[in-house]
Amino acid sequence: MRVFNRVFMILLLAGLFVLGVYMIVYAFDLFGSKLASLPITDFGKGVENFVAGAENGSLSAKTIIILILLAILGLIWFIAELKPTAPRRVRMGSGTYVTRTVVEDEVSTVAEQVPDVLGSSVDVKARRSPGAQVDLEARVRRGEDLNTIKSGLKSTVQEHLSEKGLPVSKLNVKLVEADPRQTKTRVQ
Amino acid sequence: MADGIELARAASVAALATEGVHSMGRGRYVEPATYEGSEKVSGVVVGPEDLQIHIVARYPLPRPIPEIAESIRERVAPEAGGRKTTVVVDDLEVADDESL
Repeated sequence: MRVFNRVFMILLLAGLFVLGVYMIVYAFDLFGSKLASLPITDFGKGVENFVAGAENGSLSAKTIIILILLAILGLIWFIAELKPTAPRRVRMGSGTYVTRTVVEDEVSTVAEQVPDVLGSSVDVKARRSPGAQVDLEARVRRGEDLNTIKSGLKSTVQEHLSEKGLPVSKLNVKLVEADPRQTKTRVQ
Repeated sequence: MADGIELARAASVAALATEGVHSMGRGRYVEPATYEGSEKVSGVVVGPEDLQIHIVARYPLPRPIPEIAESIRERVAPEAGGRKTTVVVDDLEVADDESL
């Protein structure tokens, strides 16, 4: 959201700057440009008609829908702005933090030590409360008992992380059946 | 009670002497460090009311990370002058003799 806002504000300010330059040039009749020569008469009339229509309550259904959509978009944007950004580091307890890569490395190492897992990818999200949200995707051979592997893998990872003191508030394990020729490890 | 660069130096020495600490952390985007004159202490940021210690932990971990962090905090406490000490584990360093 921060990057989007930055890009939006840069474009907005750039647009305002360009309009400001044009306004000065046309307002003071510089370089042969005159305010009267600007083709804004139709635009001005359009705005007048729109405002008059809004006052009379005679706007078209299409216009009302567009206005409602704009209001909803503004509300969504406002709520998204109010939502605080996720912290960069995983909070462990009072005054102790680990970077997400540390948790990722640890989870990935443990997951790949499980015999049925041929490869893994880990995504760690830090939360404001202690503990990380870990999304683990493990690749296994086709035809294996996925439920057994999933529960075994989940408990192994949780056990190992708690031994190391790395708190996990949510651990999502997803198993993907893969061709061993395309995984990191062919045989465990 | 030390202050500024002296505290940073003391914190760095204390952290490096703790079991399970491989080296001082270098951060990811910005290097955490304390500067004074021409001297720089990496991995320690001294604030007026807080002290941030960035470390790289040795892997495999000899003990849980919270215990390592607590040991560092205990070692630094006499010099910290009541500052809130935060320990950040920036990375893990795999020991050379481990075939991991």
